[in-house]
Amino acid sequence: MAKAGRLSKVYSCFTEGSVAVMSEIEVSVMPGIPTFSVIGLCDSSIREARGRVLTAIRASGFTCPKGHITISISPAYMRKSGSGFDLAMAMGILFASGQIPEPTGKAYFEGELGLDGKLYGTPNAVTRLGLSARSDFDYRIIPYQEEAGAKCTQLSCMTAKSLRDAASLFGSGTYFPTCYTIDEKLDEMPEEEYPDISCLKGQEKCKRAILIAAAGFHNLLLLGSPGSGKTLAGRIIAGLLPPLEDEEIPICFAVRDTSSDIRGLKYSRVRPYRTIGPQISLTGLMGSATGLKPGELQLANRGVLFADEICEYKSEIVQAMRKPLEDREAVLFKNGISFKYPADFIFVGAGNPCRCGLFYEKGGRCRCTATSRRNYLANISGPFLERIDLFSEMRSISRSDMEMIYTGAGLKAQSPEWRERIREVWQMQKSRYKEFGGGFNATVRSEDLPDLMRIPFDVVSYATELAGSGLFSARAFTKILRCARTIADLDQRADVAVDDISEACMFRPKEI
Amino acid sequence: MDDPNVMADLIYVAIRVTTKVDYRTVKKLLTSGVISSYRDLSDFGRFKDLSGFGIEKGSSLADKIESFVSKESVIKKVASNYYEIMQKNNIYTVSSLDKDYPYNFRMQSGMPQVFFARGRRELLTHLNTCGSACCVGSREASKYALYAADRFSSELSKQGITIVSGMALGTDRSAHYGAIDKPGGTIAVLAGGCERIYPPENKDLYEELCVKGLVISEMPPGMQVLRQYFPSRNRLIAGLSDCCMIMEAGDISGTLHTASFAASQGKDVFVLPNSIYYDNAKGGMKLLADGASVLLSPDNVIDDVMQAILYRRLECPELFADTAMPVSSAFRGSEILRCRKKADLEPEAMSDDEWKVIIKDELTMGPKNIDELCRVIALPFYRISRLIVSMQCSGIINDENGKFTLTIV
Repeated sequence: MAKAGRLSKVYSCFTEGSVAVMSEIEVSVMPGIPTFSVIGLCDSSIREARGRVLTAIRASGFTCPKGHITISISPAYMRKSGSGFDLAMAMGILFASGQIPEPTGKAYFEGELGLDGKLYGTPNAVTRLGLSARSDFDYRIIPYQEEAGAKCTQLSCMTAKSLRDAASLFGSGTYFPTCYTIDEKLDEMPEEEYPDISCLKGQEKCKRAILIAAAGFHNLLLLGSPGSGKTLAGRIIAGLLPPLEDEEIPICFAVRDTSSDIRGLKYSRVRPYRTIGPQISLTGLMGSATGLKPGELQLANRGVLFADEICEYKSEIVQAMRKPLEDREAVLFKNGISFKYPADFIFVGAGNPCRCGLFYEKGGRCRCTATSRRNYLANISGPFLERIDLFSEMRSISRSDMEMIYTGAGLKAQSPEWRERIREVWQMQKSRYKEFGGGFNATVRSEDLPDLMRIPFDVVSYATELAGSGLFSARAFTKILRCARTIADLDQRADVAVDDISEACMFRPKEI
Repeated sequence: MDDPNVMADLIYVAIRVTTKVDYRTVKKLLTSGVISSYRDLSDFGRFKDLSGFGIEKGSSLADKIESFVSKESVIKKVASNYYEIMQKNNIYTVSSLDKDYPYNFRMQSGMPQVFFARGRRELLTHLNTCGSACCVGSREASKYALYAADRFSSELSKQGITIVSGMALGTDRSAHYGAIDKPGGTIAVLAGGCERIYPPENKDLYEELCVKGLVISEMPPGMQVLRQYFPSRNRLIAGLSDCCMIMEAGDISGTLHTASFAASQGKDVFVLPNSIYYDNAKGGMKLLADGASVLLSPDNVIDDVMQAILYRRLECPELFADTAMPVSSAFRGSEILRCRKKADLEPEAMSDDEWKVIIKDELTMGPKNIDELCRVIALPFYRISRLIVSMQCSGIINDENGKFTLTIV
């Protein structure tokens, strides 16, 4: 019979959408008929913990206290789910029943228990561990399987493989936390290598557009005939981007470990490169609101989203992308609450310029009428086109160039050199936009672009003149300024020049 | 006799003049493989054994060969006589195997394989790249026609267009004098040998032409000027030029020959308008009625010649490939050629305006997309794009479905 009621308090956290919420877990063991109740708007995955927790305690050589066991998980007004509370509950019971001395100070636990007392990781670990790292705890114990998550959030904690491991750290005073850091030797490039930019031989415009897009995080639209290398171009961009920074790694992998199996999460510095095709569903793109599962938009955050055959998409898909492209975030609504996910990526759209795809080819092989072309491109024209900073047409390359690319003769790899240059340009942008919430030339939010981007007055008035002459619309004005800034950055010039504006105009998509 | 080619040319001319061998015979010999170029005719030993070429004894071809081979000594004597006169008068031969053989001759049948010339040979190259116009008319022309001939010739020659005429009195004389000191220069096509001054009243003009211009003839040196040679001379005048200007022509006139040769060679004929009551201009007025163009200003002719040159550039770009060619500064296309030359030799010294000239020139030969422009112009993409946009702004070029076209040709 247990003594008069005892209370223990431990901490864990859960995720709601992309945010983690800290929760306090109070365990009270009161004398009385043995019961086990979990309160605090928990769903069945938490209520089921009873079986796992009690059996695991027994299997680990402890005893289940007899009496009322009440576990309250706060904040009580929020719905929670998931099996990540198992370890916290079990530890709370052990503390409350006095089987292990309760530590002085705050203790953080997470992990799912098996019936045999083994400890498992749960999804969304990176998000939770990120919050845990930002909060102040004296003890942090997480499942061994979540070690990768601890590394990318740079958490100071100990890992445990079982409940017994976790319990043994208390009392005898053997809690010596490890300060996890991001591994020094992380893969910067995926195993399957990205193609080199020299593969785009003879397509100078596209080549330049790719460089500008990668350097300033601009959205890019490529239209060209089948086989002109559009998919290749997308992969080349991904290969030109600098690797993920330390602070970006948890952001990127926070969304990724919800969808893939946490138990095998491998983190690296490889920037996300997501490809979508015409068959993608709205949920697949935007994420699922009911399950708060991120879609491709969220997964591509800080990387590249490559939309293949964009002209073939259903209209709703293209229109749904408009807002995320503008705001650089994707919002999911569940029960009237909005969950914001960052969706800050380089959008690369690729498609055919008309139904037969040969519109830009030489020799007038395209037989599409102007009307059929307009219908074909209706989806991506108008408001969608305004989200595009750079446009380039692509054509099939000549036979000799093709031969050169396949044999690799006479081609010098240029990507490494350009990657280095782009890394420098990114650094420049980082320091320039520090006070404006960061961002890139394409994404920084500011009212006074010319001042911030060092665009002299005469250059702005030149751009105004061009806008007046009908070369681009007034609404594209800021896009032109932003692109011009990137072009100047690539040339390592402090001020934007008139020529940069001219070049930026070359990449304006034409109203089709 | 230092150059065997010159001798071969002379022997060819001598054979054509002294024997019955005509261009058909030469053509047959070429197709049967006995000779590989007309110059092989000078190699008489070649014709001793004709077995293996499918030429039967007793056939007309064999007879013709027979007839000229037997005259070997006569032919050689005639040729060396030509050579002597040539030496004395600084005459040289121009053959179809030469690089500066006029493109217009090459493109038409019935033009001489070899012709004789005296004066500035570089005018022939100039003619190929900068174009030419012939200016012909009556010998007893009105003051109006003479004035017009002088004005038009001088205007066109100022623009680098070579004036071709026949060194006759009246219109021809005015035309030559109008053009002689100008960059385009002038060429006289004579009916007799190159050293024969006909009419003798034009001695002053002839002498000036030999220094500042060019005198050519298909007739070998020493050949007399005969009436019956004039029509064939007129054929060369029309054949050499890119378009034809008729200043004044009577009802029955050699000028009309020139006009009809030009028309049948597909060249535009311009006729200076005149009074319908003036008898000596009736032939010209009839040409107008038949659909010739009215000569209103030199611009008509310049546009026409430019058109011809454009086609020539498309057909035969190697003619223009030689950027080392001397270019007169007044010619409209000279800016293009100068810029091309500079782009080849010292691209870093090129100004934006000079590059624009090249871009414009590339687009003259058909619409091109930006990647094609990058391929033909040795500039990095960003520089080309900057030029293109500024040209777009000034309305010189237009973007049509991803290809750039010239708005003003």
